[in-house]
Amino acid sequence: MADTAPTALESRRRVVFGESDVADFDDQDLPTEVMPLMMGPSHPAMHGTVRIALEVEGEKIKTADIQIGYLHRCFEKEAEHATWTQIFPYTDRLNYVSPMLNNVGYALAVEKLLDLEDKIPERAQYIRVIVGEISRITDHLTCLAAGAMELGAFTVFFYLIKGREWLWELLEEVSGARLTHSYVRIGGVVADLPEGWAARLREVLGKVRVAIGDADKLLTRNKIFRDRMDGVGVIDKADVAGWGLTGPIARSTGVPYDVRKDHPYLVYDRFDFDVPVGSTGDNFDRYLVRLEEISQSMRILDQALTKIPAGPIIVDDPRVALPQKRETYNTIEAMIAHFKLIMDGLHVPPGEIYSFTEGGNGELGFYIVSNGTGRPWKCRVRPPCFANLAVLTKVLPGLFIADVVPTFGMINMIGGECDR
Amino acid sequence: MVTETSATAENVTVIVDGKEHKFPKGTNLLEACQSVGAKVPFFCYHPGLSSPAVCRQCLVEVKGSPKPVPSCYMTVADKMEVTTNSPKVLDVRRQMLEFTLLNHPIDCPICDKAGECSLQRHYFDWNGRLARNEGVKVRKAKVVDVGKHIVLDQERCILCTRCIRVCNEVAKSPDLTMANRGSHEVLTTAPGHRLDNPYSLNTVDVCPVGALTAKDFRFARRAWEIFSTPSVCPGCATGCSIEVHASRGKIRRLVPRENPAVNKFWMCDEGRFEYKTVHDHRVMLPLVGGKRARLDVAVTEAAKLLRADGGSSPSRVGVVFSAGASNEDDHALLRLAADGLKTERIYVGGRPPGWSDAILVSADKNPNSAAVRAMAPTARTLEDLRADVASGAVTALVVFGNETLVLAKDKLTAVVALASHQGPLLASANVVLPVAVWAEVDGSFTNKDGRVQRIHAAISPPGESQPGWRTICALAGKLGLALDYTDADDVFAEASARHAFLKGAVWGPASQPVQLRFGESRG
Repeated sequence: MADTAPTALESRRRVVFGESDVADFDDQDLPTEVMPLMMGPSHPAMHGTVRIALEVEGEKIKTADIQIGYLHRCFEKEAEHATWTQIFPYTDRLNYVSPMLNNVGYALAVEKLLDLEDKIPERAQYIRVIVGEISRITDHLTCLAAGAMELGAFTVFFYLIKGREWLWELLEEVSGARLTHSYVRIGGVVADLPEGWAARLREVLGKVRVAIGDADKLLTRNKIFRDRMDGVGVIDKADVAGWGLTGPIARSTGVPYDVRKDHPYLVYDRFDFDVPVGSTGDNFDRYLVRLEEISQSMRILDQALTKIPAGPIIVDDPRVALPQKRETYNTIEAMIAHFKLIMDGLHVPPGEIYSFTEGGNGELGFYIVSNGTGRPWKCRVRPPCFANLAVLTKVLPGLFIADVVPTFGMINMIGGECDR
Repeated sequence: MVTETSATAENVTVIVDGKEHKFPKGTNLLEACQSVGAKVPFFCYHPGLSSPAVCRQCLVEVKGSPKPVPSCYMTVADKMEVTTNSPKVLDVRRQMLEFTLLNHPIDCPICDKAGECSLQRHYFDWNGRLARNEGVKVRKAKVVDVGKHIVLDQERCILCTRCIRVCNEVAKSPDLTMANRGSHEVLTTAPGHRLDNPYSLNTVDVCPVGALTAKDFRFARRAWEIFSTPSVCPGCATGCSIEVHASRGKIRRLVPRENPAVNKFWMCDEGRFEYKTVHDHRVMLPLVGGKRARLDVAVTEAAKLLRADGGSSPSRVGVVFSAGASNEDDHALLRLAADGLKTERIYVGGRPPGWSDAILVSADKNPNSAAVRAMAPTARTLEDLRADVASGAVTALVVFGNETLVLAKDKLTAVVALASHQGPLLASANVVLPVAVWAEVDGSFTNKDGRVQRIHAAISPPGESQPGWRTICALAGKLGLALDYTDADDVFAEASARHAFLKGAVWGPASQPVQLRFGESRG
């Protein structure tokens, strides 16, 4: 653990309302029969296509079976037939609200196999942190916006999604694509930050800060919102290890596990930031953790923009990094390097690696086996929301049908990542 | 650690990269290094040719020698200490590659060899650095028509002389030579010669770069789009081992595959063009009386026609074998003739004999004559068939292949043709059943020396055609003979149990087409 103590969010829960309207009416319930109810796969609140097969007794959930796989795209099998570099576009489509984080996670895994970890230029590492943290903000913004909208707070949705769009515009400037960036490369990143980009990012962060403030004001002390969130979907701290929970879900229960702090990678150990944790592990804690993490990411961004050094953005090794186009078109040496990298793929020495980073939803792991050719022999992903989603089987029983919406929303299941 | 590579008494002990190994006396040093896993790149060396040591790419350090020595030019000696990976050797290797690229054009995007180019591979593996020279490259002739099948690009040539040695040592026709000196040295045809010998396309295979390209394959396909399948050339009775290179369902070229017992590393130009006939003028659908029919309907009709003539003794049904069919097709057809039609009137046809030489080309232009000779020693010729038809001894026929056969129809009541190609035979056939050709089936050929060699399916059969033995099984079933083969290896197993010439032959593992990109480039 780092020296900075995790920020406890307990004080923010302080507003106390009167007795909840949703009192325990069990004794007044009319006798009912157990009824199966399918939520999804095409239910507006089941984002990313998932089916939750419920058994309900009246409004109360007796059992919940989470049925995933509707967005399975054979990522892992496809990866075995693509060169190491060709896999980046596939990783974009894992957690598609924070593609940069997937790009970075995958690149780090391959670089460990190549023993390139220490050779990545500093500027590239800073750029990776910057685009990654922007992606974390967009990930959390998406989750909060959609979660609020599903509880009726449509205004908040617009405030936050607008912020997300500004940030995506900045990432588009960097990478050329609004969503599917494919910006990171093995050995660095593909292009430097455009001129004046840092200033534009600071400006946008200011605007996002206002939007977050507005959302905070509209939601945090809002009784309608709190009634649906407080004490709903409580996850026990003891379940974190058992179910393999990570990210905001684990932190909402009070477990301060954050890969960036506990196993620092890139240059994360150079930044001053806190890991916010909740106290009760309910939906409202998950909301608070995400809200606070956005602020912490902004802190990291602020420091990174100040500290970022000048220099190259990709390793100086023609066997890993594509030569400049100018070189490729004008010299046979670079042409051969370009040709071999594109057609055969870069040669990763035989071996296996498990490398993990902090994704938008928690620990994003890549387990890669190389047999020394231009393609991975195996490329397995540990998607954080796969484990996070599974715990709903335990959490949902006992809740009302209406509680599925905020509980599922605050888990932030992303189909592309969960189903791969 | 001592590795025993050979059991002969005449072994010498050599230390390669610090490890002691034993090699037979007289082993080439480069081959010795390769055999124990020490990687040494080379351009001019070729296992099937002499070594001139001109490319200097295989330099290694030998203890006691003041300078690095070309390993391809040395033989192993007792107590020799060789280093293939010292900093000095690696540096020399890098420098030689840099020299080789000095005047090399930036042609990869338009070069046919790109993707299977030794220069690309070795440069990336052993140097990989970006350019340091800023000089102007020496320009040479780009599209030189050196022969009937071959175009030369002098700029791309790295002067390894492999092609010259192929002409001198394999084709015995000294058509190529070097001219000029230094940076201006070029490959060219010898005065008064053109590169027109019958083995000229082997120069394209041995060319480590894209200097010599085949007109037939030029700009046809990129190397990495090609799927390679091991097979045997159907061009003559020699049976050279080949790779069938296909992409998108069509064969694009045939190249020789190493086989020390038959063709070493080579094949003739004529054999390379055997693939041209695979795709043209094919029979796609079953025909009954010249009209399209379903396969089962056509087979039933064929059986009915053949039965209508049956019962007479001796049988008046003739069966015509093809010397181009596989062992499996021949065996199934033999079962049909002997056990289904109960006839002894067996004939064999094939392509007429042609030219031959003492190198590889055989006068018998059929790949599997030996098998028919061994399976049906009493088989008679097509001349005999014509006589028997004229005399009325044969009134019904089952013809496999032999599409060029012209028959007098008025004397025949039924002709069932198992044909792959269009031809005069089809006009006189009552029923035509489409069959696949050598490149589309798993099977085996027996060459003139009795060597049984596997062929593998490289592409799918077109239309409704299927392996001949499968159609024969269907026909036999309608004639009351149950031939229960599931796959070609079932036919082979039964055939090898019944025919002496197949005794001891092994079917071997299945071989799927491998994309060259995934199967490591050929370069």
